[in-house]
Amino acid sequence: MKKSWLIGGFVVAVGAIVTGVAMLYSLPLDFSERAPVQPLMFSHKLHAGVDGIHCLFCHRYAAKSPVAGLPAVSFCMTCHPRFGLEIKELEAYVRDRKPIPWVRVYSLPDHVYFPHMMHIRAGLVCATCHGDVTAIEPLTRFVDLKMGWCLGCHRQKKVSIDCWTCHV
Amino acid sequence: MKRRTFLQLGAMTAATAVLDGCRPANEKLIPYLVPPDEGVTPGKANYYASACRFCPAGCGILVRVSEGRAKKIEGNPDHPVNRGKLCARGQSILQELYHPDRVPQPLKRSGPQGSGKFTPISWEEGLAILTEQLKTLQREQATDWLALVTPQLRGTLAEVAASFMRSFGSPHHVSFDLLSPDWLKLANSRSFGNQSLPWYDLAETRYLISFGADFVESHLSPVHYGHAFGQMRQGRDTVRGHFTYVGGRMSLTAASADRWLPARPGSEGALALGMARLLLADSLYDNAAFAANGLRPETLLKALERYDLPMVAQLSGLSQDVIVEVAREFATTRPAVAMAGETVAFQTNGAESVRAIQLLNLLSGSLNRPGGVYPDGGAMAGPENSFGDLLSLVEVMRRDRIRVALIHGDPVHAIPQTTGFREALARVPFIVSFSTILDDTAMQADLVLPDHACLESWGDVVPLSSGRDKAIGLMQPVVTPVFDTRQFPDVLLATAKRLGSRMAAPFPHESYLEMLKGTMAKRLGARSGFDSETTWVDLLRRGGLFETSREQGKGYRWVAAATVPAPAEPRFAGDEKEFPLHLQVYTSPAFHDGRGAPLPWLQQLPDPMSTVVWDSWVEINPKTAAGLGIKFGDLVEVTSPPGSIRLPAVIYPGIRPDMVAIPLGQGHQGGGRYAMGRGVNPLDLVAVKIDGEQPQPAWNATRVRVTRISEKGKLVTVGHPEGSFRSELIEI
Repeated sequence: MKKSWLIGGFVVAVGAIVTGVAMLYSLPLDFSERAPVQPLMFSHKLHAGVDGIHCLFCHRYAAKSPVAGLPAVSFCMTCHPRFGLEIKELEAYVRDRKPIPWVRVYSLPDHVYFPHMMHIRAGLVCATCHGDVTAIEPLTRFVDLKMGWCLGCHRQKKVSIDCWTCHV
Repeated sequence: MKRRTFLQLGAMTAATAVLDGCRPANEKLIPYLVPPDEGVTPGKANYYASACRFCPAGCGILVRVSEGRAKKIEGNPDHPVNRGKLCARGQSILQELYHPDRVPQPLKRSGPQGSGKFTPISWEEGLAILTEQLKTLQREQATDWLALVTPQLRGTLAEVAASFMRSFGSPHHVSFDLLSPDWLKLANSRSFGNQSLPWYDLAETRYLISFGADFVESHLSPVHYGHAFGQMRQGRDTVRGHFTYVGGRMSLTAASADRWLPARPGSEGALALGMARLLLADSLYDNAAFAANGLRPETLLKALERYDLPMVAQLSGLSQDVIVEVAREFATTRPAVAMAGETVAFQTNGAESVRAIQLLNLLSGSLNRPGGVYPDGGAMAGPENSFGDLLSLVEVMRRDRIRVALIHGDPVHAIPQTTGFREALARVPFIVSFSTILDDTAMQADLVLPDHACLESWGDVVPLSSGRDKAIGLMQPVVTPVFDTRQFPDVLLATAKRLGSRMAAPFPHESYLEMLKGTMAKRLGARSGFDSETTWVDLLRRGGLFETSREQGKGYRWVAAATVPAPAEPRFAGDEKEFPLHLQVYTSPAFHDGRGAPLPWLQQLPDPMSTVVWDSWVEINPKTAAGLGIKFGDLVEVTSPPGSIRLPAVIYPGIRPDMVAIPLGQGHQGGGRYAMGRGVNPLDLVAVKIDGEQPQPAWNATRVRVTRISEKGKLVTVGHPEGSFRSELIEI
């Protein structure tokens, strides 16, 4: 009698742990990864939305390089101290000659080759993958960047789904 | 440990591992402070053509540079030396640039000499100290108390060094390399009255016999000849060139041969003459060649009478049948070519043996013929006896007649101890090193003025033995200098300027770069105006000046006054009873003469024959090893008359039983974290003065004995100890 209780209890406990772990994996619990805390309270909503600055004005390499690029710190300073847009934290970085340690939101594993320029050349808008940054705040990754998601779009647009297209 | 403690620790470890997984995996994105220059697009690479100066071969390279950082090096397909190929050493000069132990700025010695204690100083102070030392010499009318020791420089750099010493007024400029082909120049000028190095047309030949020339690993221009060897074997539809290798140790080159003749060390010259005699006796020689060279077969046969088959077989330890067979093959296949290499040259009878081997090329009519041997197109004058220059400098230093020594390179490591160079150098009161890393020589220095790395330098690279055409590679900086270093010739120019107008007179140029442009303009000469920057940029873009116009230079022709080659009986340091084994020191494919040892990629490159990494080893024939009770990986002591070293043993079937071999390059006292204290330097064993002989670069003429110390050799091999050489396939 007692033995069967014990075994039953053990099975239930193991089941609970397995379910718990499975839930941890399946639920979108990676908030901090999808919308990490940035060193500066930079707002895409303000820059791209309210001010209407084009994405490629700051991410200027997206159209000609595999990487989109971040604006150099000095580039921020073309607008900032002027027009009454003083930001103490930003000026501190400039003064100390330290780059701002932004936290990456969108990243792909090393075995994936993702060229920005090809996707822009194909006429995709940035929002296709990066979402409407003019509306969402804080900046949040809303796609999981898994291979199936890439393939869905590639199939739909009838572009190559050969392994070597991305895994070079 | 108690059960309870164990469980607690286990639980803690598990919890830490799980919690660690909860941390966000986001990387940091670090922006530029200031946007990069025009032409730099992050994520997109730029490719720059440059030239490799690691070894004298001078291959052309293409460097991939992204975001201003050099990332990868490959061969330049347009460069006539290497045609887009590159060796491991060329690939790894990247690590010279990024080496963690590079000298970042000038250093001044702060501890006792040789202690390796230095204080960083500014260039201003460094140059001031050097100028002060030189001015003192000038004031005391003792300008010949200055010495300059460099590797064998070529091109504009050689001019700068020579003019600096000339205008300062010191004759003591020694340009010495352990492996420099002085012996080839000497042999060629004795036989052909033409100092220029040979270029072997391997791609077109049908029969190649190499007397100890390891052209796949190190001989003259390994990438060039490796590529040509591939052409010789597989580049033609109907012909597969045949290759015979003569030499006591099976090198990588020998392993690529169809036939391996492990001749006794020092007997190769006699073997070549024995073959020549067979050719003459059977009238298999090329008649036209005799006429063209003003020789008569009968007289030559008479002169070679001594080298009859039984005598040659006995000297070389090879069977008569094999010698006859190889001689016949060589004589009846056209074109056929014979190469002489370091293994032969670094014996006491080296120069004459090399001449004997070159005589085979004359007999088979291979001089100045496709598939034969031509004088190298990149004409270069240079010392024929730099070893003699070195010894006289040692003598001068020993007599305290040198007060300032300027040293480029690492002679303390790459010169045998028995030359007395190190002791003599210790007597020099002021030593300046230009090394990029604190190598063995820089450790002895009073002042270190670090040179740029290869990828930060300007320069012209005149390749060695690379073809009939003239080719001059151009080195250009592919990145902005990582540290506060300055190029060696620019330091010489700056010092000359500080020493006054008389000293600066031979250097009208503002910088080495300007001087280089001037030299290239002179080289282009009247053919095309060098008026614009366009030409210069175009040269840089292509990687150099490659001339395809066939200006037929003078070919090789036997000099009437030349004697018939007569290699003397080889002599060896050490008594045969006490030291029963011949020592061969050979070039490691990774380290060259030792300059590659600081680079970790080369340290972890397994030796192609023994698969050993990160160490030195001695190769011993299985029979010899069994007799001495030595097993694979045992620690052994190798003793020669001048010294002894301890290193692990590799039981190697591809070596004569009366011979042991140790690769060059390891055993550094300095050279950064990857080279320091790793392995041993076999040059410590090499005797330079051999009884009854003039001191000469006979690195392979020393006898040794081997004794077993323990089983703890700590040998690291990549493959199975005998994986890369199946002993049952090698017969000796």
